[in-house]
Amino acid sequence: MIALPAVASQRSRQREATRRQLLEAGLRMVATEGFAGTSTAAIAQATGKAHGTVFLHFRTRDALVAEIVAEIGRSMSDRLAALETATPTLREVIDAHLTALAEHEVLYARVLAEASTLPPAARARLFALQSAIASRLRAAHARARTAGEVRALDAVVAANLWIALTNHYLMNRDLFAPGESVVAKCGADLAAQWLALVST
Amino acid sequence: MSTELCSSCGSCGFPMRSAEDHAGGDPQCGYCSTCADPSGTLRPYEDVVEANADYFVREQGIALTAAREMARALLDSMPAWKARP
Repeated sequence: MIALPAVASQRSRQREATRRQLLEAGLRMVATEGFAGTSTAAIAQATGKAHGTVFLHFRTRDALVAEIVAEIGRSMSDRLAALETATPTLREVIDAHLTALAEHEVLYARVLAEASTLPPAARARLFALQSAIASRLRAAHARARTAGEVRALDAVVAANLWIALTNHYLMNRDLFAPGESVVAKCGADLAAQWLALVST
Repeated sequence: MSTELCSSCGSCGFPMRSAEDHAGGDPQCGYCSTCADPSGTLRPYEDVVEANADYFVREQGIALTAAREMARALLDSMPAWKARP
C-alpha cells in the first residue's frame, strides 16, 4: 500500500509534468505560429489533453503567454549568468548576450515582433529581461569608464543602443539573414561596431 | 515564504545567482533582497512596485509612470502577489 504522502508527491510530479508539457508545446507553437497564431485549444490538442486542462495550470491565455515569455527569459538569464565572471568586461557581457540570443533566436524574435500586442504581464517579463541585460552592461560600462576604456557616454543610452541594435536585426532577421541565423551571420560584426562606438 | 532553493525571486522574477541576491543573504529565501527585508519578509506591495519601477527607470531610462505600470503588471503575475485582493 502506498503511503498518502507518496501519493500526494506523485500527483504533484504529474501535475508539474503536465504543466511542463503544456508550456513546451506552447513554446514550439509560438516558434512556428507566433503568439497571435497560438491558441490554448491547439496547445491542448498538441499535448493530447482536454482544453480545460490548460486552464487548470494557467488561469487564462494571457497567463500562459506570460509564462511562455518568462520561460524564454529564464533560459536566457541562465545563459548570461553561466558565462559571466563577477566583473565581466563589456565584450564578455555582449558575447554572453549574443550566445543567449543565438540559442533562443527564433522565439525571442517572435516575442520582439509581437511585443506591442502581448498581454501586459508578458511585455513586463520581456522588459525585465532587457533591464537585466542593461544592468550588466551598465556595470561593465562603469568599470570600463573608470579604466578610461570608453567614451563619456551615458551608460543607459549606451546599453539601450546595444539592445536596440540587436533587436532591430532580430526583428528583421528574414531580411538580414534569409534562411539562417542572424546572430551567427551578423552578431560578431555588430559587437565589434558597438564596441568601436563606445570605446576611446 | 518558500523554504526551497529558488533560482528566481517569487515576487519579481529576478534571477538570484548568489547568496547576496537573496533577502538577508539567505539562499533558502525565495525572495530577492529588493522585494524582501533582511529577515526574508516580503515588503509591502506598493514598496515593491516602487523598487521595481526605480530599477526599470535606472536601467533603461523609461518614464516613471510607465515603469510603475510595468512593475505592477510584472508583480501581479508572480506567485507572491497572485492572491493579492
